[in-house]
Amino acid sequence: MTRGVTRRPLIGLVIPAAVAVLFIALPLIGLLAHVDWSNLPSQLVSTDVLTALRLSLECSLIAVAVALLIGVPLAYILARTTVPGRRVIRGLVTLPLVLPPVVGGIALQTAFGTTTPIGTVLHHLFGIVLPFSTAGAAMAEAFVGFPFLVITVEAGLRQRDDHFEEVAATLGARPWRRFWRVTLPLAAPSIAAGAALCWARALGEFGATITFAGSFPGTTETLPIAAYSSFEGSGQIGQAITLSLLLLAISVLVLVVLRDRWLGALR
Amino acid sequence: MTLHAQVRTQLGSLRLDCDLSVESDVTVAVLGPNGAGKTTLLRIVAGLTPVDEGRVEVDGTVFEDTATRTWLTPEARRVGFVFQDHGLFPHLSVLDNVAFGLRARGVDRATARARANEWLERVDLTRHVASRPSALSGGESQRAALARALVTDPEVLLLDEPLAAVDASGRLELRRSLRRHLSTFKGVRLVVTHDPLEAASLAERVVILEDGRITQEGPFADVSSRPRSAWIARMAGLNLLRGVVSDGTMVVDDGSRLTVATGIQGPALATIQPRAVALYRQAPEGSPRNVLRCTVTGVDPEGDRWRIRLEGPLPLVAEVTPAAAAELSLAEGGEVFAVVKATEIDVYAL
Repeated sequence: MTRGVTRRPLIGLVIPAAVAVLFIALPLIGLLAHVDWSNLPSQLVSTDVLTALRLSLECSLIAVAVALLIGVPLAYILARTTVPGRRVIRGLVTLPLVLPPVVGGIALQTAFGTTTPIGTVLHHLFGIVLPFSTAGAAMAEAFVGFPFLVITVEAGLRQRDDHFEEVAATLGARPWRRFWRVTLPLAAPSIAAGAALCWARALGEFGATITFAGSFPGTTETLPIAAYSSFEGSGQIGQAITLSLLLLAISVLVLVVLRDRWLGALR
Repeated sequence: MTLHAQVRTQLGSLRLDCDLSVESDVTVAVLGPNGAGKTTLLRIVAGLTPVDEGRVEVDGTVFEDTATRTWLTPEARRVGFVFQDHGLFPHLSVLDNVAFGLRARGVDRATARARANEWLERVDLTRHVASRPSALSGGESQRAALARALVTDPEVLLLDEPLAAVDASGRLELRRSLRRHLSTFKGVRLVVTHDPLEAASLAERVVILEDGRITQEGPFADVSSRPRSAWIARMAGLNLLRGVVSDGTMVVDDGSRLTVATGIQGPALATIQPRAVALYRQAPEGSPRNVLRCTVTGVDPEGDRWRIRLEGPLPLVAEVTPAAAAELSLAEGGEVFAVVKATEIDVYAL
């Protein structure tokens, strides 16, 4: 409830606040104003756009799958156990949130590059080459996206204590059954929210991906990278705008889906 | 069947130090003020809280023994726990909640559901089989939790403040159904409560737990008529009578009669505050209906209120001021008339 005293806001605050709104809104308006609406349908279904879209979906979904597979267990450990060094681990996991993506890409290169020990082993024993491959692009996206998942799921788990797990134990459920039948279903909303955020971040990933995986059409050139290439390299501003519009639409969609969920899980 | 628990453990500022034996032939209530360690005691028996030192055993099955480093996980103990908040899983239907324990113990889905259905019928919840727990009233969710705890046929049934999450209007009916289910259960029954009336109506024996220690135990009537601590005296130190009421007259179990002001008919519990028992040297004239000729069997001076124990048609405890006690020259073996107004007797249907 707004109280009487603060109902009429200070004019000195209204102006910068309005600037803030315009600051976000104007670029978006500019983008929409430059869309060539008549040619949009044909541009959307052009081979270049479809290739980038397919690749983006593929990489981002792999990234989300990887994040779920390793992020949910980590979130559980952070929320429910007292392993030593939890604070350090939590800090480490959230680091990619603030780390410049390019640094992430270079770091991935120095760890998994073809000349590194791990890269050599992967190459010679399993024939896997991560840099400049689709798998590498997915890996870069997972690296940047999975903190979102871990943080959201951990918050969701913390929201409830382990009371229901205790109840399940008194009913004869062993630890794995408690995890599958009680912990996971109760955390499902936050897992869904975390996965969606992670997916949105992975889909928009640029810096780490281009550094670690490059920009090869059909292999590693995802939507944001394709948008940048057509904007910067080939000067096809129209296609860049079309690709940007596509990404904007997906972002808005994620935001609408998560409207309540993601705030709810973090609160 | 017998539950033995010897427990010595420190939890925050609470030091729990007690030896408890519960036979399966009677329901036992652990009664005590909040923070006395009652819930902790249940959690220890269920294996949810480990003890620093002690031993918990049911009929030769050692749940926990710090001397031999024995520890059974909660899921390996055959204990049914009805939590204070009932703890129904919000993501499962009522049926799946009740079937949960059977499924966890390896019963196949069809059989588990069939047996869960039987229990839901017994607790009168058939119309809520498919409901989510959030759709249940306090009393219904309590019954669902009870069914869920009993369906796996445990050796020990633990109830934590079973009526606390239920509104007053549903309490009487629920207490009645709870008594019925407790009486048909064959294993060890341990109820925790802070409400003397609940303890008296659900259990045959009470254990008073104060500040982590057992201060008194025995049948409720004994504990309430001879309270050994200020808390019991204040909370449970009321006259409690069981009997049958018909048309304003209660025939107490020992055969004596009391006039009561109630519309209740049938088995009932009556309580009389000690301070509502007035004492006279001579039988008074006038309106009082319940005049009992008694012998003083004990005088407990307790500050500015003295507790006078009386034997007569009924065992009674009266509370009088020291001045009144002096005036009546009350002494053990003396004779007095105890007067209780019908309106001062609180009657609860059983």
